[in-house]
This record gives sequence, structure tokens and C-alpha cells, in this order.
Amino acid sequence: MSDEEKKVTIETGDAGKGTTELSESANTEKLEERALSVFSSDRNEDIVALVFCLITTFFVLLFTKWLV
Amino acid sequence: MSQIKDQMPTLIMGGSLLIYGLIAKTGALLPVAKYLHTHKTMDLQVTMTLIVGCIAIVGALINTTRKPGTSKLDTFVLRPLGGIVLILVMAMAIRWYAEPLMKIISKGLQPTLGFKIYKVLNLNYVVLGILAGVLLTNTWGIPKFAGEGVKCARFVLKMGVIMLGARYSFAELAKLGVYSVFLVGFFVLGTVFLVLWLGNLFKQPKSMTGVLSAGMGVCGVSATVAVAPVVKAKSAEMAYTIGTILSFGIICMFVFPTIGKLAGMSPVQFGAWAGTGILNSAQVAAAALAFNAVDIETLKVAEIFNITRVLFLPIIVLVLATWFGKETGQKLSFKSVVIDKFPVFIIGFLILFFMSSVGLFSPPSHYKGKYIDVSYNDRSQVTPEEWEVLNTAMAAGEFSGLTPTQLEAVTNLVEQHQIAGNFEDRADKKAFDKAGRARMTQLQGVLAAAKAKQITLSADVKAAIKHAVKQVKKKSKTVVTLTDFMIWFFAFGLIGLGMQITKKAITQAGGWPIVMGVIAGITKATLSFFVVLWLIKDVVLN
Repeated sequence: MSDEEKKVTIETGDAGKGTTELSESANTEKLEERALSVFSSDRNEDIVALVFCLITTFFVLLFTKWLV
Repeated sequence: MSQIKDQMPTLIMGGSLLIYGLIAKTGALLPVAKYLHTHKTMDLQVTMTLIVGCIAIVGALINTTRKPGTSKLDTFVLRPLGGIVLILVMAMAIRWYAEPLMKIISKGLQPTLGFKIYKVLNLNYVVLGILAGVLLTNTWGIPKFAGEGVKCARFVLKMGVIMLGARYSFAELAKLGVYSVFLVGFFVLGTVFLVLWLGNLFKQPKSMTGVLSAGMGVCGVSATVAVAPVVKAKSAEMAYTIGTILSFGIICMFVFPTIGKLAGMSPVQFGAWAGTGILNSAQVAAAALAFNAVDIETLKVAEIFNITRVLFLPIIVLVLATWFGKETGQKLSFKSVVIDKFPVFIIGFLILFFMSSVGLFSPPSHYKGKYIDVSYNDRSQVTPEEWEVLNTAMAAGEFSGLTPTQLEAVTNLVEQHQIAGNFEDRADKKAFDKAGRARMTQLQGVLAAAKAKQITLSADVKAAIKHAVKQVKKKSKTVVTLTDFMIWFFAFGLIGLGMQITKKAITQAGGWPIVMGVIAGITKATLSFFVVLWLIKDVVLN
């Protein structure tokens, strides 16, 4: 990805959140990595990952242990 | 019209997956799968390709009828769909074709080269995934339709780290003596601080130093992923760390067994040294087996030392969160480090580790889902034919070369038709299990002695004993399935991570991470060598 593309992804990295702190500060150096996520913050990303994993674990337990 | 054009790649991939799934369902791919040793995954291949194919087509069709908006469904599903499907197709190609093919080629080249390239270069889905991602980005570039999907990589990697917790159990780790835990902890923390100091000395970026310190101190990929958000590491820095660790491990795999033999280390000492000094678990196992292929104690000790490091992960995350906060000039209170900075997904790792330790997935004594069950049941017994073989061999005195304890284990196997504790102790589960496990170890010793040609046993007898041992070694289906999820999450995440690594990013990092990694690795290997020789005698396991 070229630098120009990076700039675009920085903006869309915060897609769906409108004007948030991220886009207002416009510190591309700092926001580069955040732009590489569909989530607006690390915490959101972590919580969703945790919830997904717990749901997966529940279904795995259901089909490999509890219903067998 | 342009929307249809934009969605065309996703539609084509979805269609191809559906066709593949339908062909696989007819069984036409079975001969190829058997050749690749992936025939056991045929059901999964059919289910996965059909589901992903359907989702891809439905999602792409929705995207052709309307422009993706800003709703949650658009942001997290419809926009990244093309990229997610592309990465999944790549992950499937790697797991079902590239990795097995690599194993076959490597096996074919073994007589010429004298070693298996697959094992030496660690060409599994981890390395192949990153390489595939890097190759795509630096040759054709990330296709436009896949740009949003690549952004899901870290999220999925985090799910992989959370799932990792399900593989370990505290009961298994508790087998390690207290001072061994201290030893592992000392080297984990020591390496982390050494790399941090080196990073400061060589004036490397804090993010690079932080992530490399965790990777070198704890255990490669998972630690790198776990610490990256804490120290704000970039994808290229994560990949560099993983690359450094794996490259260093390759050298260790060859050097460790030779040094161990020259120094006259005992199997347990070598296991402890390899488990402490080498980072990647597959490389630890390879070194342990290279040192001693017949004594499983070496491998067992090495693995336990190796996995104990994983449990230091939350501690290292805290240490590095504090360090990174201070280095970047933030005022940090206890609350800000433990509550605000601590990544939630590491709590997820701990939750799954806790569930695993209380026995929700498997008996608490399991390790990677494997456990030993010496209780009386049909699934633990040898077959009547095997019993007959053993009984006849016993009567013919075929076991005369065995040690008294080995002979007792074989005699008991013949008496009880399975590996078990003392019948009269069956009410006392602890004593019963202990005796059963001891007999299993003795029988493994018999097999090892036969393999080393110290004793001579007929093929039928060896097969019967082997089966008896296999019968009491159980595998939890739950942990195996959770591990499968973990592997898919890692495969997906690492391909996406690779896609974020450009040539420019690699050049920017320069050679310093490798220099720092090698210095830290050699220091740890040398120090742990002397400490293990000095402290570890033959009894490390409780």
C-alpha cells in the first residue's frame, strides 16, 4: 500500500463512527495502526473478540460434550 | 453497473467455493485428499466451502443492489466481506493443500538432504500464511475489493490468542516443581528486560522493542499478538518479531542437541534447557527428539517448561504496559495499568484457561486436550487377540530382559486386560491413578527399549503393548475442536497480517531487530545452559 492509500484507510478505518476523536486529531502517525482495523478502538475490538470466543466455546461445548 | 463490477471477485470466489464444496461432497476429491493426508478433513471442507460460498454470494448480491452504508452490518460484514472471503480462500488453500504438499515434498527430499525442510524451516500454516500475505501485497498488491477485509486480521488473531487458553490446564503445569517455575519466570522476565535494554542501546522504536521483548521472552506468535496492542506495534514489527524468533529457533534446533550431548546432559536437563532456551513449541519438540528419540521424558520436560512460559503472558503484558506508558511519558497509576491498559482479550485467554483448569473441557489434568484415563472401561482394554499374544509371550518367557518394574507392569496388563492401578485401591482414585500412570510409563519404557534394540520383542507383542498405552491415552473432543478454531483464527489473522507488510515497512525496520533477537537469544540460551546444569538434577516433575 502506498502512503496515499494509507491516508484513505486512516479515514475509513473509523468507518461508521462519523467524526470521532480519531478523525479530529488527524495524527496519521499515531492513527496508522487503528486505521488497520474495522473497530473504532482496541477495547471494542477486544470485547467483540471475547464475546465471539465465548459464544464459539458455548457451541463447541454444546455439540461435543453436553449433547453427545 | 460499477457496483456489480466491484462485487464480481466476491461472486466468483463464492461460486468457486460452492462448486468445490459440491465436487468434494461427491467424493471425487477423496483420492487427492488421501494423497495429501487431508481426507479426515473432507467433511469440514464440504461444510466450510458451502457455508462461506453461500455467504459470499448472498453478501455480494446485497452489495450490488445498494451501496454499503454506515450501519454495523455494513461496517463489520458487508464492506469487509470481499477481503474476508479472499483470506478464507487463502487459508483453506494453505491448510488443505500448501501445508500438506510441503510435508510430502519435504519427506521426498529427506534422503537427499538428510533432513526434513518442513520441520527445519517450520513451514507450517503460520509461516506459509504470513509469506502468502506478504507475497500478495508486494507483487499484485491488495486487491481493491479486499482492502476492508484485511482490517479484520488483528481482530481474528486476538480470537486465536483467547482460544489458546483452552489448551492448557493449571493441573498439568502444577507438575512442575516450584523452583522450576521460578527458573522459567526468571528467564522470561530476564529476556524481556534484556531486549528492552538492547532496544534502548540501539535506539530502536519502542513499539518494535516492546513486541520483540515479549516474543523473545515468552513464546513467539501468541505473545507477539498479545503484546502488540499494548505497545502499539505495527504489523511489520509483529512479522519481524515472528521471523526473528523462528529463524533463531532453526539454529537452536541444530545446535542445542549437539551441545547437550557434548556436555553430557541428562534427558531431563536437556528437556529443561530446550524448553527454556528455544521459543517455538514445534522447534522445542524437534530439538528434544533430536537429543533423545527414545526417552519421552526429555520431550515431556521440554514441553512443560515451554508451555509454562505461556502463563507468564498476562504478567508480561502488565510489565510492558507499564514500561510503554512510562517511556511515552504517561503518568500511570495502578488502576490505569491493570484496568485501563490491560487488553480485554488477555482476560479472555485467562477465562478459557480457568474453564480448562476446572475441567469444563476435559479432565483438569489434560494437556492440549490429551489426558490419561486408567479407569476400568471397554475403551481402555486391549483386544482379546492382543491379550492372547501377551499371555502367550509371558508364558514363553519373552519378557526375561525387562527390569522388575517393567515386568510387573506387563504382568499386571495381562492380569487386568488394560493398564490400570491396583484393583484393591480402586476406591482411592488418587492412588489408583498414580499406580496406573506409573505402569503406563514402564510400558512406554519397554517400547523405547525395544526400539533401541536393548531387548527383543516380537512385532505382535510390541503392537499389543503399544495399543494398551494408546487405549488409556484419551483426547478431549471439546479441546480438539477449540484448537481447530484457534488454528483457523491464527491462519486467517496471519495471512491478513502478512498483507499489511510492505517492502517499505521491512526496509524501515532494518536489521536491528534480528541483531537484538540474536543477542537476547544467545544470552538466554547460554545462561539457562549453566543454570540448568547447576540446578536441575534428575527430578523436576512432582
